[in-house]
Amino acid sequence: MTSAIRRAAVLAALALAPLAIPAQAHHSFAMFDPAKPMKFEATVQSLQWTAPHAVLWVEAGKVGGYDAGLWSLELPTSPANLAKMGWSRNSVKAGDKLIVEINPMRDGRRAGQFKRATFVGSGQVLSIGAIPGVQPPK
Amino acid sequence: MHSRLKPIHRFAHPSRWLIAAMGLLLPVAAQGADAPVLNPAPTRAQWAAIADQPDLSGVWAPGPLDKYVPGGPEAPQWLPDVAKQVDHLKQLDAEGRPQNIYVNCLPEGLPSSVTQNLNSVEFLVTPGRVTVLSEFDGNRLRRIWIDGRPHPADPDPTFSGHSIGHWEGQSLVVDTVGFLPEVFIPLSQGVGFPNNGGMHVEERITLTGPDTLRQDIVVHAPKVLAAPWHASRTYTRHRERNYDLAEASCRQGDFIESTDAQGNAVFVPLPKDAGGATLPPDQAVTPASTGTHP
Repeated sequence: MTSAIRRAAVLAALALAPLAIPAQAHHSFAMFDPAKPMKFEATVQSLQWTAPHAVLWVEAGKVGGYDAGLWSLELPTSPANLAKMGWSRNSVKAGDKLIVEINPMRDGRRAGQFKRATFVGSGQVLSIGAIPGVQPPK
Repeated sequence: MHSRLKPIHRFAHPSRWLIAAMGLLLPVAAQGADAPVLNPAPTRAQWAAIADQPDLSGVWAPGPLDKYVPGGPEAPQWLPDVAKQVDHLKQLDAEGRPQNIYVNCLPEGLPSSVTQNLNSVEFLVTPGRVTVLSEFDGNRLRRIWIDGRPHPADPDPTFSGHSIGHWEGQSLVVDTVGFLPEVFIPLSQGVGFPNNGGMHVEERITLTGPDTLRQDIVVHAPKVLAAPWHASRTYTRHRERNYDLAEASCRQGDFIESTDAQGNAVFVPLPKDAGGATLPPDQAVTPASTGTHP
């Protein structure tokens, strides 16, 4: 199987996923565990600048019991509100090294709720500012 | 007329004869009592009059979410049977199993768009109408007709209902009916109860200062509420450009940008957990050692 065909097969499999999974957008954060926060170094893959929750995608090596791989880190709100906090879709770029702080998924999957990130080297911090009604992560 | 029926083979299928018959009937109906009502073109005087009305321009950022003390006078007063169901939903929410009333990307409608919105709102005033643009899970649109029209006798049920309004001093007074019965009366973003039909919302949108605004609503929902529910939201005006409303599509977050085998740009669906959290493509299935994270 060529890599192009393999890729097409993966895409086809992903395309079927929504049939089984209802569209879920604006959701509670009960699936994340604020009692077991994590902090680890990761490399930015992309910042998904979408409503209702932006997502920071990062690659990390083996962290504790987690295999190396791609993490989805959900931000608590949408691009319009993040812009008011000083974020933009260019706040990070692919390849940036970050120390990320997250609340991980309770069920062990490689995903979490973004709390803050610090650029390795510059020490610049990306955090969630205060907007009335938009609570920063615990 | 006969020339319109040629060539004859176009009407070989019975449904085409039906369509042709409807085509003959429609022009007759249009000339009768059901002639279309027109929205007249605005006049220069109508545009000028807007300058003398309260200035709702700019972007309005909502204040803190209302908190309703359980049993307090500001909380919705539910009918007894409904109160039992609401108590159960509140219990589930407290146990970390929220009802998630805003997870399907359907419009939230009233009163959620007033009491539970976290994002900026715009009020566009043009002759005969006020258009409310906002963002909840995605961009939202609501029309308030201020051209003197009444509610339709039998409005098509919608999420935001049919709104008519008029100015009283610094207030835009709005009356809304025609809601879908499924539209929630929310207590929070995790608990709400459907209005179950017949909901009616009274509303005052008031400029309270140079850059402050208050939206007061009274919700009448006789199928579920024992008394009308009064709620309010305050807003602060912003003219900074980073407060401008942005395009927000509720479903876009369900996909990630990728390329297909031919190198073309495509959206690829992302897996989600039961509660709606975005997952990496290789994490669609919960690990075998499920229960708690490693």
